[in-house]
Amino acid sequence: MKEGALIVWLLSGLPLLGAVSSLLFWSNPARLQLSSVIWSVVSLGSIVAFSNQLVIPSEGLLPLYLLPLTAVVSLLGQPPHVDHRLGWIMTLVFLGLGLGVMTTPPPSSSVALLLLFSVVAVLLYHHHSVLWSISWWGLGTYTLGAFCAALLLVAEAPLASVASVVASAVLLPLMPFHDGHLTALTRLPGNLPSFIVLLLPTIGLHVLATALPTVPDVVAWTASLFALVGAFYGALKALAQTRVRLLLAYGSLSFFSMLWWFAAATRTATPRSALLVGTVGLATSGLLIAWQVVRTRYGDDVDPQAVSGLASGMPRYAVLLSLLALAAMGLPPFGVFAGFMGLLLSAPFPSSGGLIITLLAWLAASWYIMQMVQRLLFGLRRPELRYTDVLRTEFAALLIVVLVLLALGLAPNSLFAPDQTLSATHSVTGSVVWSR
Amino acid sequence: MGVTLVLLVPLFLLAAAAVVLVGPDRTRHARAKMAAYPVGIACLGAVGTLYQVASSGSIEIRFYNLSSVASFAIPIGFYVDRLSAIMMTLITCVSVIIYNYSVGYLYQDRHARRYLAMICLTDFVLICMVSSSNLMMLFLFWQVLSYLLYVLAHNHTHAGTLAGAFKTFTLLRVADTAFLAGIALAHQLYGTLEFQELFVRAAQTPIALSVGPGMEISGATAITLLFFVGAMGKSAQFPIHLWLPGSLFAPTPVHALLHAGIINAGGFLINRLAPLFGLSSTTLHVAFVVGTMTAILGASMMLAQNDIKKTLGFSTIGQMGYMIMECGLGAFSLAVFHLIAHGLFKATVFLNCGNVIHKARQEPHFPHVEHQADEEGLSRLSRLTWLTGFVTTLFIPLLILLVTHGVLHIPLLESQGTVIFFFFIWITSSQAILTLTRLRQVPSWKVSAAMLTTLLFIVFVYLGAAEAFTAFLFPNPDEVASYFKTAGLPNWMFDLIILLATVITIAGWSYLYLVAHGRTVRMPVWIERLRIRLYLPFMNRLYADEMYQVLGNSIMRLVHQLDKREHGWSR
Repeated sequence: MKEGALIVWLLSGLPLLGAVSSLLFWSNPARLQLSSVIWSVVSLGSIVAFSNQLVIPSEGLLPLYLLPLTAVVSLLGQPPHVDHRLGWIMTLVFLGLGLGVMTTPPPSSSVALLLLFSVVAVLLYHHHSVLWSISWWGLGTYTLGAFCAALLLVAEAPLASVASVVASAVLLPLMPFHDGHLTALTRLPGNLPSFIVLLLPTIGLHVLATALPTVPDVVAWTASLFALVGAFYGALKALAQTRVRLLLAYGSLSFFSMLWWFAAATRTATPRSALLVGTVGLATSGLLIAWQVVRTRYGDDVDPQAVSGLASGMPRYAVLLSLLALAAMGLPPFGVFAGFMGLLLSAPFPSSGGLIITLLAWLAASWYIMQMVQRLLFGLRRPELRYTDVLRTEFAALLIVVLVLLALGLAPNSLFAPDQTLSATHSVTGSVVWSR
Repeated sequence: MGVTLVLLVPLFLLAAAAVVLVGPDRTRHARAKMAAYPVGIACLGAVGTLYQVASSGSIEIRFYNLSSVASFAIPIGFYVDRLSAIMMTLITCVSVIIYNYSVGYLYQDRHARRYLAMICLTDFVLICMVSSSNLMMLFLFWQVLSYLLYVLAHNHTHAGTLAGAFKTFTLLRVADTAFLAGIALAHQLYGTLEFQELFVRAAQTPIALSVGPGMEISGATAITLLFFVGAMGKSAQFPIHLWLPGSLFAPTPVHALLHAGIINAGGFLINRLAPLFGLSSTTLHVAFVVGTMTAILGASMMLAQNDIKKTLGFSTIGQMGYMIMECGLGAFSLAVFHLIAHGLFKATVFLNCGNVIHKARQEPHFPHVEHQADEEGLSRLSRLTWLTGFVTTLFIPLLILLVTHGVLHIPLLESQGTVIFFFFIWITSSQAILTLTRLRQVPSWKVSAAMLTTLLFIVFVYLGAAEAFTAFLFPNPDEVASYFKTAGLPNWMFDLIILLATVITIAGWSYLYLVAHGRTVRMPVWIERLRIRLYLPFMNRLYADEMYQVLGNSIMRLVHQLDKREHGWSR
């Protein structure tokens, strides 16, 4: 027992220790980046090494593996520069806090959650620009999340269950608590958006998985309704966006809302749910890194239509971006598709109308993501632009994301939850009410 | 042996793609030529598989275990029966021709490597799709095919091509979404996506779904309707046909592959799921209506096009409509027969269309403008030619109909499928024979002999080859009969179809006779006006592109309005 407790503290402590030790290289961005990457890899290695001694949560171990892996690719996705140092250090801090929420028992997990919300809120308060002005809605959402985390420390059920659901709605974005997600993905400095987009939703799923069996029916029903509205709303908003980071934020909101719909209806979060959340987060993270490549070359918030023709000037980038786009829009054989199909096939549909909305949102993704990719990659090559293909670290980051997404699309489901029965087979006999 | 063959066919195609892609640039032409060998071996493997399946039965390979929780997220497995083996043979044979043609056609093209590799990869995906052992794997390759179509119909720098490729992708995704809904519903109702199990459970467990107050449809109908929409996309059925003309900027070999292989995916899906479709009269009737409409509209639009590729494109749409119509009549095997014949024919035509254009440009008499001489030529139609044509297209078929019905007392109304195919024979042979009347520089007896031969050939093909093919594909005649029975049309509709077919054929001959004898055919003014008025919409493809554009713009306008109204909250 003592050994197990030591391991979970070790898992969360390693990245925090890495953050502190990396500060020694503050004056040398290249070394700081290398140190951060090494600590993330060490963190991943420690999780793999101690995975058989961890208590397996209902959503499986996949999120635990994905967190340090995403930290690595997020860190690799940026070239060394003094402006990126804070992002790299904070990546390790967030990784440590995230692992703390997911592995340590209460009340430590609630304290880690409270710290996580608070740090994100502070960063958002300090980091805004002319292009991305301060978002009080976003800040307010994270403050609400912090309040709910604090409530978890003191309240009993059913108030604690409701607080958990609200906290997870902030982390794993659900309308009307999605502003935090949008703000974090657009305003956080450096590489943090590409890490946060996976970190917060996976933590949200973990908190939700704990709370779901005990939440009152009315809360679950309301969450289910908001999820459907959110899936449709996210897709519509993504269609209207010309700013890439907002487009990706709304697109991921749409996909996360689908997960909410299934989870609220079935009152469980299975490894299949974790697969969907993890792969949507990872695919969005990959796209954010890919967008970071464009930003590094042509400036922040550049209009995608102003940098057309990348396919001929940056062929390696074009191939990787195309594959990431395929994964993000839910096409096989990538993990998003496997996660989505896993949910579609593992549980009875809560309603036919909900299924139609979910499928429409899935369909809309191929419109807005493909349009974005087509604008960036194709069209005439512009003589006024200088095309520089991806650097080695950028290439490695994007390639790792693509390969992991591919592996998650093909890997056996039981790999991340060996003790759980995953293949549920349902068949219906007699007359079925299809329109509810 | 069979298992090895089944695995080798896709692997050799994948190897061909790798040979083209991997290697230094200076050896790319040599590698392109070298890759023709694995493509050829894959074709031989497919022929061997067909032989093996025909002699020893279906081959099944599963890389997953349904009862194990350790199964892959996407179950990969192969199920090769006679249908799959035939499709594999067709695809690989066409691929050999197209690939070898492409090596020369794309020689020194900047994107040759990409196109050649994509052609091999598309063949690989097609082979895996037609040999899938379950719906999930079929859907996986179905989706990949949608994306490959987008990539193949692509030219980075040409705006028209980009727009066409985007339209192709989005329209196919609409149909794919219906397909996905069908898969989810099938799993929900019957708890399996394995073909054989699904067919058995669907047949044994009738399920009624309530779709509204007092409205019920069977589970099989709901599922097959969704699958049918999925098939409509790939088979370019009206109104989801627009992607096909939109992708006409692609290189010629890509078109040949598209029109000979990829477009058959819809027909294959319906045939693969024939036992499921055979449980739903409603879906088959919907397929019949959609197919008929597509056949008529596709053929009409084809006649009004002034571009050889668009003409061929709309011809394909018409033929696919015809094929779906056959499925709607319960003649699944005939539909497969049709798509094989069409695939081989259309690939040849597409590969040759460039030569025709080239030759036509060198020939001063083309395009010839001596229409007047053509019209005059009709008056030289000899009595023998006309009489033979009349006897073969009107007298013989009616005689057969009367004899079977009156003398042999065969209840034709109870075997509608047979009668409808009898009329198909009639219309097809009439059309072919009417075309022969245009031969005016040869003696009448030769034209008459050609007419008789044509009739015999068509009758032989329909009744002989198609029947033999049906027996090969569906060894159990009861199964074929049950499909025909399910597809039975209401009597009034059946009578109407027969009547229309008769009127059209007789009217065609009457018109020909009157024109041939120099008589003026007086048409009512409104018919003349209608003919002129219809020409423009058909030439402009019924303005369907513009309507889609308006629809897309309206949706986007609405989306932007909603976005503006909500601007303060989410930013």
